[in-house]
Amino acid sequence: MIQMYHVDLRYAGGTYGLRDVSLVLERGDFVFLTGASGAGKTSLLRLLFGAQKPSAGQILVAGRNITRLPASQIPHLRREIGVIFQDFKLLPERSVYENVAIALEIAGVSRSEIRTRVWSMLKRLGLGHRIDHKPRMLSGGEQQRVAIARALVNDPPLLLADEPTGNLDPGLALDIMDIIADAHARGTTVVVATHDPALLDRYRHRRVVLDGGRLASTRGPEEYSSALRHLGGTRA
Amino acid sequence: MDARATRRIGAALRAGARGARERPLVFLLAVATMAGGLLVLGAYLLVVANLRGVLARAGEDLRLVAFTELRGAANDGAVTALDARIRAQEGVASLSYVAPAEAITRLRADLGQDAGVLDGLERNPLPGSFEIAPPRELRDPKELHALADRIAALPGVTEVRWGEPWVEGYARLVRIVEWVGVGLGAFLLLVLGAIVASTVRLSLHARADEIQIQRLVGAGGWFVRLPFCLEGALQGLLAAALALLVLRAAFALGLPLLGDALAWALGGRPAVFFGAGEAAALVALGVLLGLGGALASLVNLDERA
Repeated sequence: MIQMYHVDLRYAGGTYGLRDVSLVLERGDFVFLTGASGAGKTSLLRLLFGAQKPSAGQILVAGRNITRLPASQIPHLRREIGVIFQDFKLLPERSVYENVAIALEIAGVSRSEIRTRVWSMLKRLGLGHRIDHKPRMLSGGEQQRVAIARALVNDPPLLLADEPTGNLDPGLALDIMDIIADAHARGTTVVVATHDPALLDRYRHRRVVLDGGRLASTRGPEEYSSALRHLGGTRA
Repeated sequence: MDARATRRIGAALRAGARGARERPLVFLLAVATMAGGLLVLGAYLLVVANLRGVLARAGEDLRLVAFTELRGAANDGAVTALDARIRAQEGVASLSYVAPAEAITRLRADLGQDAGVLDGLERNPLPGSFEIAPPRELRDPKELHALADRIAALPGVTEVRWGEPWVEGYARLVRIVEWVGVGLGAFLLLVLGAIVASTVRLSLHARADEIQIQRLVGAGGWFVRLPFCLEGALQGLLAAALALLVLRAAFALGLPLLGDALAWALGGRPAVFFGAGEAAALVALGVLLGLGGALASLVNLDERA
């Protein structure tokens, strides 16, 4: 699903956001992207959904070499990727329904099908009673569930989540992770950027550790704690 | 175009309409400002159109007068021969011969009560002449000069007069009116384009979050641009319609107040308002202006962000 070969991301001024990162994720994988703040997690995710171009190396996502993808093709790539952010990125003046429907409208889905799919997705995420509410009337956990609904309503084969539980208290964070895990169980490839140890302890998936923009390790969960200790104990 | 593309266009247009509804003040302010600019432009065009009408009618009276040494009547052989030679010149639409007897009759009429001064003359001193009308499209002083020279060179013609200073003044006035029109038009178009571009930039700023989210879920460049183009075109349409309405009302209410002054300025010719075609052209100009301003402000929209 994702192949990265010797990818560099260099900013103006010569500093590196990512350096020589090579990584392969199979279809159906669930991967935690972890590391301290500033390690390059968000930069890596931004490369994957085409918000930035790498300075060097090659990236293939769902069979497309996005390094060579012209800007006009980026929207087609993004219709196959669901993205979730820590700050939810919802439109405050639109209802829950409208916030979720926007992804389907842009994909050119008919209005009747949009109604069916949005309703079904909101019901699945426990938001059926909130369909006409504005985001400001919802709790943080509910707002993130709306964002997840928007990301998943198109049935994307790939879901990218950047600190999806960063603004939520622990109980709500686990709810959100359960929803993401459910999407994975339905066949979606999932990449979650987080530095929340509680999540990493609870969900036993592959972990890709970044340190200063470099790939420090990619391993199973049992090896993760010792790797973090080696990096200076940045688990918090 | 497939059904999905049609539905995407529909969604983009709905987004544009929603944008205008959510920021009515910015939208209406842009319409009012553009309408002000188009009103000034429209008023100037109206003045130009009426002035050109006056000038065109005055130009219709332009005549060249070729004086001749011949003194016979119109049916005199030498007169008809010269008539034919003048008529054969390029740039002569029509001509008529004024015999010396007719010339003095006209002079008597013009002198009116003073016509008695002519009674003492032993013989009619006035020459015969040909009054030559050039075609309506021939008003360039150089070409008229060339025509006068050709006619003056004909045997039997002693002199050609054609009101050179008036024609040159007429041509200069038309040129000034046209250049001022072009200058003012270009200036107003630039100002109005900048107004639309600023409004769209305001809208872009106000909708930055929405655009970012649209991008995230796969909106293409045109999906983002289309609502703004629609908004700009709609602003232009409404502004032009408003400008026309205000102009029409000012025309109807203001003309009676101007009265004699206007009648003098237009040489007795009634003032005319835009016809349907001209009004449609002004509306089309407003739409194009709105569209152009929107596109100009969207040129640098980041495709990846």
